[in-house]
Amino acid sequence: MSALSRHRALTAIWGSPRGWRGTVSSVNHSDIGRRFILAAFAFFAIGGVLAMLIRAQLATPGSAFVGPEIYNQLFTMHGSIMMFLFAIPMFEGLALYLLPKMLGSRDMAFPRLSAYGWWCYVFGGSILIAALALGVAPDSGWFMYTPLSSKAYTPGINADVWLLGITFVEISAVSAAIEITVSILRLRAPGMRLDRMPLLAWYLLVTALMMVVAFPPLILGSILLEVERAFGWPFFDPLRGGSPLLWQHLFWLFGHPEVYIIFLPAAGVVSTVLPVMARTRILGYGWIVAALLALAFLSFGLWVHHMFTTGIPHMALGFFSAASALVAVPTALQIFAWIGTLWKGRPELKLPMLYLLGFFVIFVLGGLTGVMLAMVPFDWQAHDTHFVVAHLHYVLVGGFVFPMLAGAYYWLPHFTGRARIPLLGEAAFWLILIGFNLTFFLMHLTGLLGMPRRIYTYPSDMGWTWLNLLSSVGSFIMAFGFAMFAVDVALQIFLSRRARRNPWGAHTLEWAMPLPAPAYNFASQPRVADGEPLAADPDLPLRLARGEGYLAEIRHGWRETMAVDVTTGAVDHVIILPGNTRLPIITALATGCFFLALLFGFYWLAPLPLVAVTVLGWRWAWTLGWREEIGPVPIGAGETALTHREAAGAPGWWGSVFLLVADGTLLGSLLFGYAFLWVVAPNWPPPELIAAGLPQGAVAALAALAGTVLTRLAASAGVAGNNAASSRWASLAVGAQAVVIAALLWLGLAELPAPTGHAYAASSWAMIAYGVLHAFIALLCAAFIRARIASGHIRKGRVLETSVAQLFGDYAGLATWLILACVLAPLVLA
Amino acid sequence: MMLLARASAGLIFWAFGFSVLYGLHGIGCAYGWPSTEVGGGNLFRWVMVASWLLLCAGGAALIWLAKAAPSGLERRLSLTSAVVGCAATFVTGLPVAVTSACV
Ligand code: HEM
Ligand SMILES: [Cu+2]
Repeated sequence: MSALSRHRALTAIWGSPRGWRGTVSSVNHSDIGRRFILAAFAFFAIGGVLAMLIRAQLATPGSAFVGPEIYNQLFTMHGSIMMFLFAIPMFEGLALYLLPKMLGSRDMAFPRLSAYGWWCYVFGGSILIAALALGVAPDSGWFMYTPLSSKAYTPGINADVWLLGITFVEISAVSAAIEITVSILRLRAPGMRLDRMPLLAWYLLVTALMMVVAFPPLILGSILLEVERAFGWPFFDPLRGGSPLLWQHLFWLFGHPEVYIIFLPAAGVVSTVLPVMARTRILGYGWIVAALLALAFLSFGLWVHHMFTTGIPHMALGFFSAASALVAVPTALQIFAWIGTLWKGRPELKLPMLYLLGFFVIFVLGGLTGVMLAMVPFDWQAHDTHFVVAHLHYVLVGGFVFPMLAGAYYWLPHFTGRARIPLLGEAAFWLILIGFNLTFFLMHLTGLLGMPRRIYTYPSDMGWTWLNLLSSVGSFIMAFGFAMFAVDVALQIFLSRRARRNPWGAHTLEWAMPLPAPAYNFASQPRVADGEPLAADPDLPLRLARGEGYLAEIRHGWRETMAVDVTTGAVDHVIILPGNTRLPIITALATGCFFLALLFGFYWLAPLPLVAVTVLGWRWAWTLGWREEIGPVPIGAGETALTHREAAGAPGWWGSVFLLVADGTLLGSLLFGYAFLWVVAPNWPPPELIAAGLPQGAVAALAALAGTVLTRLAASAGVAGNNAASSRWASLAVGAQAVVIAALLWLGLAELPAPTGHAYAASSWAMIAYGVLHAFIALLCAAFIRARIASGHIRKGRVLETSVAQLFGDYAGLATWLILACVLAPLVLA
Repeated sequence: MMLLARASAGLIFWAFGFSVLYGLHGIGCAYGWPSTEVGGGNLFRWVMVASWLLLCAGGAALIWLAKAAPSGLERRLSLTSAVVGCAATFVTGLPVAVTSACV
């Protein structure tokens, strides 16, 4: 087959239809990645306009430009948009677009999940922007502290917009995290060992894993606060045993790791672009990976540094202050690795390099003010002043926006296939750099002069007038710079001349393809023997296009890509990915209806979209797989491999594992909340504790155990080819999970006090609800197994579906036991 | 996967120790351990300092174990993770010895 006819055949398989059909049904990672990037940039522009309005208001004392109500919406939406609708989705887009290309793969592990995440993001983001246009946007700050965000002080729907809209967007973040993790671990080119992976993949792996455990606390917090606002369950109301500090803990337990989640992908871009600009290899690959891991873990022990002024005892503050200072060490190690790389190489001052230099200066300053703020006595002075605003913009703009701009210029030829128009980009850089420093450096000073953040105006005799005016001037200079950047990119997309292949002379695999990238990435997948494949083998692109790699053969219209062993990168099996479908957009619409029903208070309507999501989820799983036996298939070079449904450890199984890790973190946060309220909140012990309920508890516990064991039996019988037995065990497992649900509800209704009376009852009820939900999921899994045996999809040797059902069965059992222990503890201990 | 597990072991140990200290601090303050006199000090200080030292010893043991990892990136990551875990346990736990207890 000639290279051209292979290109045509592969494009027919991997591409998407033209027009709106393609728009709603494409699941291709390049499409979805590009959309994420464009949308994130649009949100960045909206957030930027809000920032200019803020600066216009603060430019002069006693300004009458906007009043306090609008001002509160402005800064809340600015922060929320930049964190949730710009930074996270921007890096997700970059990861979706680039990862498979850098890893030598043809797509991500769960293409439909990417598409679902994309639609959730657009719909959730639209809810927030619509609220802004209608003047009912959130207005309690991007961290939504209670009681300001509680019903009493925010009676309107503003806070609900935030809680529901952001949670909706969060679904897309968690999906992306799972997707990125599994893709990096399994979907690489054969031979790409972990220690040959491009550094960006390490950064994204660590970031994605952090997201899997960082987002659940915020999702939980948002659910609890929404339930408090909607139904009066008093999790955060101190009069009824709740605690506003619980919100702060849950928020920052997410919020601090979040800032590293934003920084690390950008640092990954630095580690990728810098060595190319310096025409050398990165210095200290292994040390950088070690520093990354240290950063990832340590960043989960810092969150209380946002709460230094809340009256927490000194010893506890000490733990977090020490950890905050410590986290500067691995960060500094990376900086030294970058400096060393520059030193070793022959750097060229091209545009991406300019942005990297800007990043160095700004980010280092931000890190230093961070360490200052991490010292408790200093923080008591500077907290809630513009000094913090300066710090956070130095680290976020310096640590995210600058590297991303470097990355934008570096990879734009890859997206567009065109070269840049000279000079416009340099001008934009200088405007952004000068504007940024003028705006934010002065805020250190206003902050130290005592100017609080989030005030909508100030009197002229405070001595802040000139500094504020200059800040505002700076912000407009910076905005011009960004506008110029946008123009530059638009010119490059539409007008510029064609770029050479691999214009920077880089050595990673994303440059081993024609530009702009074809839908299938690689006509055949490479075998990788070096960390910089194109350096070791400059002719690789040609040979891949000629079909001299893996999976060059085209069969049955399948979207095929290789799965490898996690550590060694040895060939493991062939993954057959699902093609274009409208399921993701339909499921996202149903999910959106659920959130809208809650937002408008139509609680009686909310179950309807939930049922729809469940049905769609079933269909989602149902449409995969096939009845026929396939066996080993040839993959090229005389080798053969099994397809993923017949091999152990397929991506679906790994994805379920990480989903359950996220889910388990949510449960862990809930249990933490329960213990926290018990130990710290005022107005405890509650007026009324659980008084009986051991029988119901015993029934639930036994049924949960039975459910787990029966699902396992059904799974092993199914894989052994014993259909009748498997089907019988699965039916029994369905019954057992139904008993769990009934017993848990019975326990709650008969023995627990009403959830609105006290945070104790509310948190016990929250745990019961969690248990019921998971028993129901396990029930669905068991029912699915039964149905798939009947339909002939599960048969001897097909491990995937049964092993996933078993995971969910095991998890439901474990969760029920934990929950029962916590709910019944007061009874047993009394 | 073993590589990732080894590479995280020391840091997971730090996270565990950090949670133990923070949790014990909350519980000890809630149940009034600082006002229980034991052996010339108070119960709170004894428990906190003893747990901290035990954790540091555990971290040191992990370093010793990490030396057995397969060579290459895996040994590098296991060792640094263990060293960082142990050092971080020492530094972040230091306040148990020097700050006031529950105010
Ligand atoms: C050397 C490392 C760092 C240290 C020690 C540090 C320390 C701190 C401290 C103590 C605060 C709280 C100030 C207060 O509210 O009183 C803070 C705020 C903040 N930091 Fe950092 N930081 C560091 C790096 C970063 C990085 C890398 C980012 C993001 C890329 C970041 C983003 C933020 C943000 C967004 C806030 C403000 C949150 C808010 O109150 O709205 N920090 N930092
Ligand atoms: Cu922080």
